[in-house]
Amino acid sequence: MSSGQGAIIAKRSISLSKTYLVVGIFMALLGVLISSLSGVVGGFSTTGIPVNAANTGGLGVATALPLVSVALQVIAAITFSIPVLMLYVYDKNNGVLEYFLSLGMNQGDVYRQYLKAALILSSGLVGFEIVINLVAGLIEGVSGVLLLEVCGLVVALALPVVSFDALIMMSFSSLQKQRVGSNQPLGMAIGVLMVMPAYLVPLVVPSLAFAFDLFLAGVIVVLSLLMYLSSSRLISREKLLP
Amino acid sequence: MHTLELAGVSSGYGGRPVLHDITFKAQESAIYVVLGPNGAGKTTLFRTIAGILGPYSGEMLFDGEDLTRSREARKRISYLSHYNAIPEEMTVRGALDFYAKIEGGNADEVLSLLSLEELKDKKVSDLSQGQKKRVSIAKVFLRERDLYLLDEPTSNLDPAVSKEIRDILLRLSKDRIVLYSSHNLYEARDLGTNLILVRDGTIGYFDKISNIKSKEYRVGIRTTTDISKMVDAKLGEGGYYVLSVFTPEEAGLALKKLVENGVLVTEMRQLDNPLQDLFEDNYDQHPASTGRRVERRN
Repeated sequence: MSSGQGAIIAKRSISLSKTYLVVGIFMALLGVLISSLSGVVGGFSTTGIPVNAANTGGLGVATALPLVSVALQVIAAITFSIPVLMLYVYDKNNGVLEYFLSLGMNQGDVYRQYLKAALILSSGLVGFEIVINLVAGLIEGVSGVLLLEVCGLVVALALPVVSFDALIMMSFSSLQKQRVGSNQPLGMAIGVLMVMPAYLVPLVVPSLAFAFDLFLAGVIVVLSLLMYLSSSRLISREKLLP
Repeated sequence: MHTLELAGVSSGYGGRPVLHDITFKAQESAIYVVLGPNGAGKTTLFRTIAGILGPYSGEMLFDGEDLTRSREARKRISYLSHYNAIPEEMTVRGALDFYAKIEGGNADEVLSLLSLEELKDKKVSDLSQGQKKRVSIAKVFLRERDLYLLDEPTSNLDPAVSKEIRDILLRLSKDRIVLYSSHNLYEARDLGTNLILVRDGTIGYFDKISNIKSKEYRVGIRTTTDISKMVDAKLGEGGYYVLSVFTPEEAGLALKKLVENGVLVTEMRQLDNPLQDLFEDNYDQHPASTGRRVERRN
């Protein structure tokens, strides 16, 4: 399978279900709105001095809100990639995956293409989130450093979480005895669970939020790699049959 | 000339073998009809040869290359499954382009080959079952392969399209090996030259179809003259004079006699199918577990 197949699968996913895409965009906009409230909150500060992470050591709601919004924007990216998982199940039930195997691919090759498609879709949304984060943040007067932190964290967290979620969902789906769905709620739950600390830490220990989110991203990258490398061995080819 | 050789192959699902000690050698380019009732292991046999299922034991060689190890060897195989395996949200053209990008080939050529030009802009989901089957078959011919594994390719197809498919297979089989499963014993007899009978996951019979001997030959003769007094034939099914003989040679002698008497014979055909006898012997009257030996012509 050539590298362009991931893009074709992404395109097919879009045509299969647009609902998740709309919900994903809505969640992304909500996340950016929460993030940009930082500027508004800072503007209404009683001291009259905008509050930001750069000059207060990360304390205060104005700093916490953008970091809390990171988690929401990551979940938006997961939601955006769900159609790929639906397509995976649809292709399995329809015999498309079986045909891929007959063309000389193994289960790792198949997983890789659907993973690529999930990353292509979620990257599109992450790019969109960065642009509107920057635009909205600058308009609302959010600190530039904080904006860059938010954008960096969205990228660092979203892509590993989407990778892990996609791989684990394909694996779970392959192991389902009743092959009727992709367990989207389970996928969402796993994704939300993974980014839950990113919601809580900015509120509880704001000064550690940035470092913690980076650490979390690193852990998920390692988990994703382990999952990817082991999935071909753990899940036999017959699990891809209709 | 290609050779497909399976030696002691066992395969199945979840560690439970469905095929047991499958051994045969297809060493001539021809159509090998794979027969067997539902659940006998035909699809598992195809999936194993295609490399979709890894065999638990045994060896599979295609032109001397190990099919379990060589990806290149597997790429010389084309497999048509029961499932259409066509993305239904795409147009016919889009779906064939999708596969052409993956495995190579030209979508336009197969659209023409399977007479799908009129349907090319239709969504696959809007097609009838038979039309979907045609698109599914079209994808198998995107690239020329050396070994074709076709699991009931003509199911759901109307007689005209079935004939088109059979003609394509006959052309292909001149220099390729085609394994073809069907529940239509008459189609199997007309198309196949060799027979692989699968019974309870084992090979019950592997030989040329022409070597299968019928218990009796019922020959139908169509003519405008009453021939019942010339040969021992009675007017019967389908307007044929039915002649029962024990060997094909006896039928030839009867025909010679009719011609010598000036009778115009417009059609003469065997009414029974030797595959039917074989099938019934193996699955109906005698359960597979008894392993009754198949009667063969010497």
